[in-house]
Amino acid sequence: MKAFSLLTAILALSGVAPSVATAQQGMPGGTPMTFFVTSTSIGTGGNLGGLAGADAHCQSLAAAVGAGSKTWRAYLSTQARPGQPAVNARDRIGTGPWYNFDGVMIARDLAHLHGDTLPLARLGNNLTKQTGLTERGQIVPGLNDYQVPRDGDWEYVKTTPYTNRHEILTGSQLDGRAFPPGLDYTCSNWTSNSDPAPGQAQGALEAGPGRPNAQIGFPDRNGGGNGSWNSSHGTTGCSQTALVRTHGVGKLYCFAIN
Amino acid sequence: MKNIIPWILIGSCVALTATDEAFAQNASRNPTSDTIPSSLMTFFVTSEPIGNGGNLGGLAGADAHCQSLAAAVGAGGKTWRAYLSTQARPGQPAVNARDRIGKGPWFHSTARIPDYLNRRLDRPIIQSQIHGDTLEEAQRGSNLTKEFALTEKGRLANGIGDPLPTRHDLLTGSQPDGRAFTDNADHTCNNWTSNNKGSAQVGHSDRVGNGNMSWNSSHATTGCSQEDLISWGGVGLFYCFAVD
Repeated sequence: MKAFSLLTAILALSGVAPSVATAQQGMPGGTPMTFFVTSTSIGTGGNLGGLAGADAHCQSLAAAVGAGSKTWRAYLSTQARPGQPAVNARDRIGTGPWYNFDGVMIARDLAHLHGDTLPLARLGNNLTKQTGLTERGQIVPGLNDYQVPRDGDWEYVKTTPYTNRHEILTGSQLDGRAFPPGLDYTCSNWTSNSDPAPGQAQGALEAGPGRPNAQIGFPDRNGGGNGSWNSSHGTTGCSQTALVRTHGVGKLYCFAIN
Repeated sequence: MKNIIPWILIGSCVALTATDEAFAQNASRNPTSDTIPSSLMTFFVTSEPIGNGGNLGGLAGADAHCQSLAAAVGAGGKTWRAYLSTQARPGQPAVNARDRIGKGPWFHSTARIPDYLNRRLDRPIIQSQIHGDTLEEAQRGSNLTKEFALTEKGRLANGIGDPLPTRHDLLTGSQPDGRAFTDNADHTCNNWTSNNKGSAQVGHSDRVGNGNMSWNSSHATTGCSQEDLISWGGVGLFYCFAVD
């Protein structure tokens, strides 16, 4: 018994427990899932095939766990281009409330999700490491989980399921809206997987002139010196290798609009 | 099942050994004494409660608790204040927790020594960020995470998902902006003198619970006895800040 509780404790601490315990979506008769973090990434860096490709990724992951009857949208913004207006992530995802795999509400509405007023923003939404689950009910490994020297290496990450991969692509500002045109925050509206040319501040985690870059947030609310779920900092580039370097892997937030 | 457990234990031991070795390799470049970190600490969660429910002996009693816990780990040279508000009484103005704790920035108990250019190697918490003074700061959040909110001994306070008992309810008596409540209801266990009637506003050191992320103002307790606090997922811990 003692050994068993120790094992349970280790599993609970390491975040493995939910992924082994769950086979079916949500509690029986519970609230249907309308929010998840993708369990897998598309795998081609910041090139998601545009918003359409990202939405299709959400839809197919949802369908694989029996939630394909809903219309799923990736939480992503795109920046304005000549003849093409900006798209705000917050305008794409319906009106909520949104529930995770366990049927736990992560936000009542758009204002709660984004903290539109000071009182709302100070309290925060209910998206935490415990609630920011994948469509299979897994906790997304975050800061302080599985710290191994190679967990920023794509070749290693490909074969290691539980390394830190908590950087979720959003391309959005804190309020869920697109960045103004100019600097790249969206890997060229989710079509680019290129990296900065040599000398273009490859180590920087922010946008810069001519630098391919994506804004990211953390479902575990931990990293970058702030707890932002949707707009903490940028990446070192748009290739898959660059995303992994700072503990992302190209995961997305998916919301059902119905 | 039986076979797995020893392997996990061995695995953990190997991991620990590896860390120790890595640390040993750097030992020539870092002071070895563990009194060094505590002298850099300017923020902690009390490792133990006073144990008398919401009766902390007023602000003075709570401050003394911070001071003695800090002293026990070699950080008694600083002036420590409990992060607690008190409500206005006739002839006695309200006290805001945020006004008691100095200016910061604050570092936790495992903070490392500055590098040779005197740059701090750890991210601190910032007064305006932990209170979300502007909308942008409030939306972005602060570095006050579960892993930052360590006790003076460098340990995590048990939160949601950790082994029971949960100890994540931290007494504050404060609103999210760090100020005292201004209504007539009790939010401070009668200004931290009651261990039976009343209510205390608490925050969550692990930033999880009650549908929000507030570290300082998530919900109220019903009652101020030690049992009441425990029933809500706390034991009467509070935050301590060094003002100097």
